Order: sequence, then structure tokens, then C-alpha cells
Amino acid sequence: MSKVCTLAEAVATIAPGSHIALPGFAITRCAMAFAHEVIRQKIDHLTLSQCVGAMDADILVGAGLVDRFIYGGGSLDRFGRLANVNRGIENHSLDAQEYSSLSVTFRYLAGALGIPFIPIRSLRGSDLLEQLEQTHPEDVSMLKDPFTQEDWLVLSPLLPDVTIVHAQVADEEGNAWILGPRWDNAEQVKAGKRTVVITERLVSTESIRHQPEKTVVPGLVVSHVVELPFSAYPTSVFSEYDYDAKHIELYVKASATQESFKAYLDEYITSTKDHWDFLNKVGGLKLLNGLKADPTLGY
Amino acid sequence: MTINYSPSELMAVAGARELGDNQVVAVGIGLPMVASFLAKLTHAPHMTMLFELGVIDPEPIDTGVGLADPRVWYRAKVLSSFVDILGMVLHRGKVDVGFLGGLEVDQFGNLNTTLVGDPKGQFRHMVGSGGANDIASSAQRTVIIMRHEARKIRENISFITSPGYLSGGTSREKAGLKGGPSRVITDKAIFGFHPETKKMMLISVHPGNTLEDVIDTMGFKPVLPASVPFTEAPSELELKLIREKIDPQRMYVG
Repeated sequence: MSKVCTLAEAVATIAPGSHIALPGFAITRCAMAFAHEVIRQKIDHLTLSQCVGAMDADILVGAGLVDRFIYGGGSLDRFGRLANVNRGIENHSLDAQEYSSLSVTFRYLAGALGIPFIPIRSLRGSDLLEQLEQTHPEDVSMLKDPFTQEDWLVLSPLLPDVTIVHAQVADEEGNAWILGPRWDNAEQVKAGKRTVVITERLVSTESIRHQPEKTVVPGLVVSHVVELPFSAYPTSVFSEYDYDAKHIELYVKASATQESFKAYLDEYITSTKDHWDFLNKVGGLKLLNGLKADPTLGY
Repeated sequence: MTINYSPSELMAVAGARELGDNQVVAVGIGLPMVASFLAKLTHAPHMTMLFELGVIDPEPIDTGVGLADPRVWYRAKVLSSFVDILGMVLHRGKVDVGFLGGLEVDQFGNLNTTLVGDPKGQFRHMVGSGGANDIASSAQRTVIIMRHEARKIRENISFITSPGYLSGGTSREKAGLKGGPSRVITDKAIFGFHPETKKMMLISVHPGNTLEDVIDTMGFKPVLPASVPFTEAPSELELKLIREKIDPQRMYVG
């Protein structure tokens, strides 16, 4: 059965107040086109999660659509900090639940395995744990190992309402290949109640069957498939295209204040009607062609 | 013969000397990466390098802007995931050395990468943990690389993102953690930790600096052993490898 739809249709299935797991890592394979469409449709009161905070979360926080962000710290690499997320933490408008990367990943893993909690050695002795114990005691606790009597920190599972995953290749059932490192994406997909696959390229199921060992996302967990080239722009996609340093710099500059960021959103996101319109606005085919990856290098 | 080198080059060389052959090393971008490649090209050819997001033993030929840059993953032996690397290698206890850096380090080797200011009042939020807390918690030992400034090397820090020896003595073990920081490498000196109190202890001073320079430019007085030697300067070969092979664009080593 085909699950293929438009980005606007897939985004419209997400209710306000949902918990969305996002696929980005700093400035690579971020669900940017998805985030843009969420902003256009004004789906608000969201909870976001990811193991390393990335540009896809930062733009949604900057658009005022996020109540809660569960993450393991993050940045835009050398381009700068997650200015919108940081501003939300500093002025207490964002309920940021800050972990380490592995502890967020373990929470997805617990969700994916259907187990009630997961022990971890990370966080102990840190102020990250102290902060979580004060603000979110429902997610962190100590437990005695019944076999050795040792004390362990345990974390509750994460069960996102919808996981967004960005893949280089997928078929109409949602069987998807993630090429290159995939950080917490596989666990996010399995922990989620359902997954939306955004793919650079839609292929036949027959091509997937030729190299099934590449499949990271099985179609059985997928509700919608969206084919959209350059859907991670301005972030990079391994073996597809590079990040656009100029646009990320423009974003970082704009995110310095709430006012200048609103101007950025007005100019680039809410005044463009869809992804194609956005791509034309930022430079069109000429710009995008210049970002295409060398197949041997992967960037 | 005197060889000219920068403080960053000496830091990278000192970092490399902490690494042994056949060891597994968790690395971030910047000086730790330079130190690890240098160790691999000299005394530790069988060392394994891990990047948290799921990358083992890359051989980049272009300089990246961070771990999220595919330039840094080039020619890797493994491209996998957080559970695969930080979970089933690091958390499993198979990482010998982890490199860490930060905004601030305190006298017991605790690191802050989360915020500047007062966490209960006015503060600026920075990067947070990423995999740093995980590495500080589960690596057999860690090596901290920091700029030598009084505002960065302090008696107390405003937020512990990654645990060192917590409040000293046995407090780290009591928190359920093994390992801990073994070295702090700055641009002026190298420190270890006192075996009992776990307070930072001066081990060597980089050539060109005096003991006073070192102590006056940090936020507390470290433990001082009876004699403090100078750090061994980089060799010609080490400098040549850094300048010509590892960081020809001078992106990481200033």
C-alpha cells in the first residue's frame, strides 16, 4: 500500500501538543523542510526530542511552537549556539529537559524495546541529574540491582507520538535507507508510535529488495512517506549534498534576537508557500547544484 | 637546537603522548583529534578512534566544522550510531581514554559546558553535554584539554556537566563512577590529580613559562610536588606531521 503523500498532508496529521522526535544532529540531516511546514501550519505546544540538539529543533523553538525540549545538549557546530533554544532556557519560556546524548538515546532504546525503564552509568554526580531530579522526578530514579545489590540510575522510556526521519532513499511503504552515521535515528523510529519518512528519493520496493541490509527504517512502523529533494537544506545530507555555510551564517545572525529571528521567519518561511518556493527564494537550482556531494567523498 | 612551536602544538603533542598503542580513544573535534592522529602516525598505529555519533577510524582529508560535518567521517571503517559507539563500546567499558574540553574546569577536574553565570539567577546557556558527560562517566580515564586562564581553571564552577572527582577524595566512587580524569593539559602546564585528595596537581611546566606564571594565571593553587620539571618539547617529526599532514590549514592548531 502506498503511503506517499505531500509534506503538507503529512504535517497536517500532527496534532498540536504532540511529542515529535526529530532526526537532525547539529547541522546535518535535519528535518528542515518539515520544520518549515510545521511553522506554516502553526502546529503549536509541541514537545520535541533528539539526542543532540540541532537546527530543526532550534527553528521550531524560535517560531514559538515548542513548550518542551528533551535533548542532550547541542549546537550548530562552529557556526554557533542553538540561540533560540538557549534564549528559551534563559528566559524560562522553554521547559528544557537537559540530558547527555547517550541518556536520551537510552530513553529511546527503552521505548523501542517496550521496557519500563533503563539503567545507565551517565549523569551520576552531575548537575544535569540534580536539575532533572528537581524538575522532572517522573523520569529519573535510583534502583537497586536485584542481582548485585548495586545502586543504578534508571531513566523512563521515551515514546514519541511521531518520529520524523530523514532518509536518502525510501520506497512507497516507507522502507528507508539512512546512509552514513545515523546517531539516534533507528531507536527514535522504533520508539515512536508512528514514523513519517522524508526521503530525498523515492525508489521501487524492488530496488530496496536488492540491498535490504541498507534498510534502517522498516515500512511497518511508517505512516507517511514524503519525497522531497533538498529537504534537509541548509543542513547537509551524507552522499547527497553539503551544508550551505552562507545560509547557516545568515540564520545564526538572525537568531541573535527574537525580533531579528521573527524577520527571518517572515521573509523565508511564512512568506514562501512551500518547500519549492523556499528553495527558489534562497537561490534555486543554481545554488543547490553547487552543493551536490561528490559520490566518493560523500560531501 | 631550538625548535619554534606554538602552545597549541605542544598541547596536541602532550595529548598524543597520553595515548598508547592498541588503545580505544573517544575523540572530539579540535586539538583532541590532532593529538589522536599524531599518536596514530607515531607511537600508536593500532589505536582506535571513536566519534560519538557512530564513526570509527576516519581519515579526513578536508577540515570539518564539527562532528556533524561529513568531511570528518571520510574513509571511516564504521559508520553506525550512538548506541553502537557510546553504548556498546563506551558504556560497556571498552574506551581506554576519552578527551574532554570545556568552558570551565574546577580543582577536582569537574567540567562545565552548560552555562556561564548563576544557574539560579542570570546566566547564558551554552552547549551542554553532548557525549561529554557519557565519556566522563564511562571511560577508563579522561584527558582534559583547556586554555590556561583564571576564568577557566577555577576553584569552583557554576555547573557540573561532566563529573571529575566531584568534591574530591572518594566522592566519585561514592557516586557510582569508576575512572576519572588523569591529566589536564593547558597551554602553560600539565596537571594530574593527587592520589588521595584528588585535587589538581602540577606535573610539568611548558618551556618558556615559570611556576609563578602558571599559578598566577589560574583560579586556585594546585598541589605542588617537591620538584616540577619542564614539559618535553615537541620533536621535529611531531611538528612536521602536525603542520604538513594533520592540520595543514591550521584550523585546529593555532
